[in-house]
Amino acid sequence: MSEEKNKFDITVKSNSRDLFAFTKLVPNRKKRFERASSEPITKDPMNELAVRLHPIRQYLVISEIKDETKSTKTFKLIPDPDSKTKEVAYFRAGQYLSLKVQVNGVLITRPYSISSAPSEALKGYYEITVRKEDQGFLTEFIWDNWKKGTKIESSGPEGYFFYEPLRDLKQIVGIAGGSGITPFRSMAKAIIDGKLDAKLTLMYGSSEEDDIIYYHEFKEMEKSNPSKIKIVHVLSCDAISLEGCEKGFITKEIIEKYCDANSSTFFICGPQIMYNFVEEELKKLNLPVKRIRREAFGEVKDILTHPGFPKEVAEKIYKIKVHIGDMSKEIPAIATESVLVALERANLTPPSKCRSGECGFCRSLLIDGKVYVNPVSDWRKSGDKRFNYFHPCASYPITDLEIIVPRDL
Amino acid sequence: MSESKEQRIEDSYDAVIIGAGNGGLIAATELAMNGVNILLLEQHNLPGGFASSFVRGRFEFETSLHELYDWGPKSNKGGTRRLLERYELDSEFIEVPEAYRLILTDPNEDLDVVMPFGIDAYLDAIEKEVPGCRDSVSKFFDLARDVDIATSYLGRSKGKPDQEVLLREHSNFLKTAAYSVEAVQDALNIPEKAKSILNAYWLYLGIPASRSNFTLFSSMVYGYILKGAYIPKFRSHDYTTALDNKIREFGGKIEYNTKVEKILVENGKVTGIETSNGDKIKTNHVISNASPTLTYNKLIHPKSEVPEIAYKEINARRHGVSTFVVYLGLDATAEELGLKDYSYFISNNMNTDELYDSLNNLEAPEVQATICLNNAIPDCSPPGTCIVSITTAFLPGSWDDVKPEDYFTIKNKIAEDLISTLEKTTGAPIKEHIEEIEVATPQTIARFTRAYNGVVYGYEPDSWDSIIPRLAMMNDDKHIDGLEFCGGHGKRAHGYSSSLKDGQTAALLTLQDLQKKGELK
Repeated sequence: MSEEKNKFDITVKSNSRDLFAFTKLVPNRKKRFERASSEPITKDPMNELAVRLHPIRQYLVISEIKDETKSTKTFKLIPDPDSKTKEVAYFRAGQYLSLKVQVNGVLITRPYSISSAPSEALKGYYEITVRKEDQGFLTEFIWDNWKKGTKIESSGPEGYFFYEPLRDLKQIVGIAGGSGITPFRSMAKAIIDGKLDAKLTLMYGSSEEDDIIYYHEFKEMEKSNPSKIKIVHVLSCDAISLEGCEKGFITKEIIEKYCDANSSTFFICGPQIMYNFVEEELKKLNLPVKRIRREAFGEVKDILTHPGFPKEVAEKIYKIKVHIGDMSKEIPAIATESVLVALERANLTPPSKCRSGECGFCRSLLIDGKVYVNPVSDWRKSGDKRFNYFHPCASYPITDLEIIVPRDL
Repeated sequence: MSESKEQRIEDSYDAVIIGAGNGGLIAATELAMNGVNILLLEQHNLPGGFASSFVRGRFEFETSLHELYDWGPKSNKGGTRRLLERYELDSEFIEVPEAYRLILTDPNEDLDVVMPFGIDAYLDAIEKEVPGCRDSVSKFFDLARDVDIATSYLGRSKGKPDQEVLLREHSNFLKTAAYSVEAVQDALNIPEKAKSILNAYWLYLGIPASRSNFTLFSSMVYGYILKGAYIPKFRSHDYTTALDNKIREFGGKIEYNTKVEKILVENGKVTGIETSNGDKIKTNHVISNASPTLTYNKLIHPKSEVPEIAYKEINARRHGVSTFVVYLGLDATAEELGLKDYSYFISNNMNTDELYDSLNNLEAPEVQATICLNNAIPDCSPPGTCIVSITTAFLPGSWDDVKPEDYFTIKNKIAEDLISTLEKTTGAPIKEHIEEIEVATPQTIARFTRAYNGVVYGYEPDSWDSIIPRLAMMNDDKHIDGLEFCGGHGKRAHGYSSSLKDGQTAALLTLQDLQKKGELK
């Protein structure tokens, strides 16, 4: 090998000095080590900042409860003084908290948008606004049990539903339905306190006048900031007594009446049924994909109505063999409920945050069997699809399964 | 709760690997393939560490990889490729079209050049740009080849090279090993402008040419130019998940969301580990993919088991840079934007000392390494779109005083400035096409990997602490019986290929130790 090469010999300083420098490499390194300080490193500023911005858990306590409507309450949450949580993490208006609640002995999570302003987090609190659902597994529990002083375990602020100045146009058009208004309250407050340099026109759909959340609060914000905040109520009920409301649903025509669609960025948050309607209306406007931002709407509730779902399994109950850490357990699972719900029903405390397929925190490994993944909620990475990783919150069992689930953090 | 107790891992293992980064994954795969009963623990819920991907809207972004070095074509496989093929990994890699485009923005520099792969093609291109430089640059590559031959000889000799052979056949390697890139390039009389072109890869090692060790740097440049550069077809998460798959297939166990809090040491010997989930696991062998900085300062328990020299070693070295990346999903094709190349190195000039200093402020640094993924993988994003990522670096400490409430504003300002520079230098209208944007900072690195102070690169490879002295002192650097390290802060310095190979070395050392002590069941 060596015959045909080495056409020239390098000399950096001189032949002997170059070779000498080589022989000194190890002794010099030793010397440098010996001379250095033996003080341990105790500071780690980036990890400290990471823990402040993105705490894994926040231990909170309810400090105030306000009735918003007959079926809606706002809960003010502050750090639990008995915990190691000393501040609430700063966030971007529109983000949510994943709350972990034990309901009748079963630990579940639910995402709730933060309805207070980021600047209020700096003052030490969040607000979340909850609407009581008919036969809502969690909300009925909340109505019966959440009182001033109740302790709540939360994630850090999560999600991508926020205004991004490098991407979004200064005119935000919010489209909200029902309790989907909550992130827009946060955005409106951030606009007013100057933290968010944008304007908000909010199209807010409600089914009854007395279902409108924050009616007076938004009227006030609109009145004192007419150039920045505008709210349009769209009511689907027959009798309307409030002034200046639109009747029906949020249609293309109503949107165009109040906004210049081509110079706005749309933010949508509301129940699934509203998405189904509004998406069709927005299609007519032919907007680029980047101009429409959607909040993940949580778990799909009526998977049976999705065209790709195999209807024949609707009534079936399957078995899932679950491995978590060293534990293996067989649990029942209803085909029309997500694998995550089956895991929670069995009280196996799986990790989860968004419950929409988006965040990937519940990512698990499918060893055997088949799941149905709703294409709308399929946010898996290509590698995960190739190697049978799936998101239990957006997957439904359509055979018996065997899965490996990570433990919760 | 009883369920969470049942979920605990109480077994004992032949070896526990801490961290599923490039190094940890390979260490786990190699050991599991050899029938060792292993447990791989990762605090995040994904494998890969920096080698990952994430999805936003219609796009799946590559988190940190620009291009794999030492992969090579089928006809001339590099070490990294041979390593992954050893495990019959089911993951596809694709060749990057050209080496790089270097654009210097300082009007006095007037340089905008696309450099090809292949030594001859590269020499032709650089001679065209800097007439008369061919001879000196070609000597640079000759030296790099000598270094390459010498280091594979060192590898074969397993740390016990024949001094005679070294002096007779590898004198060029010996005589450059203690010098910086700059010192050797000056000795070769390479013209300034040619040096600028040749040193474009400097940011991959993150230290200026005046300190960057010649052995390491020349191997890297030579490897890229000789064998080309490759990237995973389905982002790095694909091959790291393929490794996860292999580890399980070989009988290894992996636990995500499991942070190791303590490495238990008694009388200088590893006896076990404890995790944040309350697991207490017995083992006599730990491979740490966490840095020595983190391992010695935080994990070893009790503290009295940390020898003074371990702290000294860490304090004598300088932590490498952290990265800052702007990920862009654009609603226009690369062609429509006029982005023809895969890899763009854009900086004011090529005074790497000055550029390095610019990594120390809370402002956009004067250097960026930008990738347009579609120019290597045309269908990596939906039709009518493309993926662009802009990377720069920050020195540890530069973000230390950032407050949570200012964080988003600061990162957006820097991101905006980097995008503006890219727009100005390439003429591509980026801002109006942003469909998805994500910005990762040193804080983001800390959040997802828990790396000490968000550091991405390992310790700076100055000549005094480059791969040769590191490999020569492998045994001196060992302080606790049963503890090995692997990863970017390891024996081969940082980078994907180095970390992957270092993982195998750590596994083989552990295997050797297990066999020697008769601990294999």
